[in-house]
Amino acid sequence: MATSERPQRRTMGDRLYDAIFSNRLWRSIFRSGYPNTPRNQMLAVATNVFLHLHPTRIHRTHVKITHTFCLGGLSFFLFLGLTITGVLLMFYYVPSVDRAYEDILALETDVRFGQLMRNMHRWMAHGMVLMVLMHMMRVFYTGAYKPPREFNWVVGVVLLVLTLLLSFTGYLLPWDQLALWAITVGTNMVGSAPLLGEPNRFVLVGGYQVGQAALTRFYTLHVIGLPLLAAVFMTVHFWRIRRDGGLSRPL
Amino acid sequence: MAATPQAQAQASSAAVRGRARRAREEELLVWPDLVFIEFIAAVLFTILIVVLAVMVDSVLLDRANAAVTPNPSKAPWYFLNLQELLLHMHPALAGVVVPTVALIALGAIPYFDNSNEGQGEWLSTPMAWPLTWIGAAVGSIGTLLLIFYDESKHVQIYEWIANGKLNADSQAEGFHAWPHQLDFMRGLRGIQNEIAWPDWTLHVPLGDVLRTDLLGFPRIELDWNIPAFLVEQFIPVNTMIGLPLILSFVVHKMGIAKTKRDHMILQFSGFIAVYITLTIVGTFFRGEGLVLGPYTIFAHE
Repeated sequence: MATSERPQRRTMGDRLYDAIFSNRLWRSIFRSGYPNTPRNQMLAVATNVFLHLHPTRIHRTHVKITHTFCLGGLSFFLFLGLTITGVLLMFYYVPSVDRAYEDILALETDVRFGQLMRNMHRWMAHGMVLMVLMHMMRVFYTGAYKPPREFNWVVGVVLLVLTLLLSFTGYLLPWDQLALWAITVGTNMVGSAPLLGEPNRFVLVGGYQVGQAALTRFYTLHVIGLPLLAAVFMTVHFWRIRRDGGLSRPL
Repeated sequence: MAATPQAQAQASSAAVRGRARRAREEELLVWPDLVFIEFIAAVLFTILIVVLAVMVDSVLLDRANAAVTPNPSKAPWYFLNLQELLLHMHPALAGVVVPTVALIALGAIPYFDNSNEGQGEWLSTPMAWPLTWIGAAVGSIGTLLLIFYDESKHVQIYEWIANGKLNADSQAEGFHAWPHQLDFMRGLRGIQNEIAWPDWTLHVPLGDVLRTDLLGFPRIELDWNIPAFLVEQFIPVNTMIGLPLILSFVVHKMGIAKTKRDHMILQFSGFIAVYITLTIVGTFFRGEGLVLGPYTIFAHE
């Protein structure tokens, strides 16, 4: 390997580089310099709370798009997007049977970008259900559930259920005919269970038919209960991927 | 990646000191090789979703009204597979027992198939692809055939062929109808409705048979309807458990599936195919009154 002589005088670029990446502010935030050397690149991952979900190194087959199609990552990405658009939607929505429908109408007509936010939230919700299902298929067909990753597959199944419940609880919120009757049909399915079906349906709906109590419950579950639960299970899911040695590889 | 000589030397010496050199050479740095892929995927999906959201508005029907039941009333699309099942068996079975058992079975996959065979690569066992296709084909075609049977489509086809035209007038002279002797084969309900069951089979006082009161439990008051039990529970349960088992058995005998992983691929592919088929039928082919027929959901959703 040819070694080049280092220039004696520091160029303008070097000085600018130092000014940006070696000053006290940058160092106080990122600890390491700009990730342009292997050392800094590994430090960038290892010293960042978000990036350190990843290992610093990864097997080269795992960055092939066709190995994972990014499906798990995209599910998480959609969850984040849903959180952001969901928070924005909450600014304008009151979960009351008298106001909910009008709030959605106002969102569509009066609120700047309101319709866009609602559309994005809905498409991402449908997308997340699809992505999670496809992610499950990817994990199955690549045999990634095999030891030592058995339990992470179980956590994944729990996350699939939570995703479906998140979508299902959100379905009621617009308080239109589609919402009311989809939830009526869905909760009646719960009610048909032997022994505990009817009591469970009653608890879920908060009464004998879908009304204000159901809307309050579904709203609370949708905006806080289920997302928190999903976040906890996602933490476990991601952490275990690292603990179990990253993505699975042929032995 | 422009690395300084020192950094390269540092990295390579770290490689020698650490794990075996070959394993290290197979590895990439997460920054930039993975982080950038994630970033690009996120950007592409953001664009995709914004474009989709600009182009397609989400539906908003009339204000919710408990007094007006839309026809058909449907659950969200990912539950339409269960709603489809609901039409063919006991509601408790379709709405609760089947999904619960399916989820538990799904979660139990790694504990059935605990070998390390075929790990980390797409469909890497020798027969993985054929098994996927067999599972998918049998699952989807089998589901369609069962739905057709339960919806008496075979009766329609018989009458179509016998009369030489579709939807012939059943009141007209010379109409060739489905033979009366075979009425019990019109569909699953036919077994309950078209067979002259003795009266006692319709009301079996379970409390007289199962003497739970002798054990100190409350006496069972239920009147057991055997034909209804057969049609709504016994036959569906046995179909849902039996057909996959027969499939695995046949494929095993043919020598296509040998290991646990092979059978898992077969069953999982079958399950996904059934799930997708039921969802499609429930979404696009259930119109007013949930009658089977071509129907478009897009008016609603």
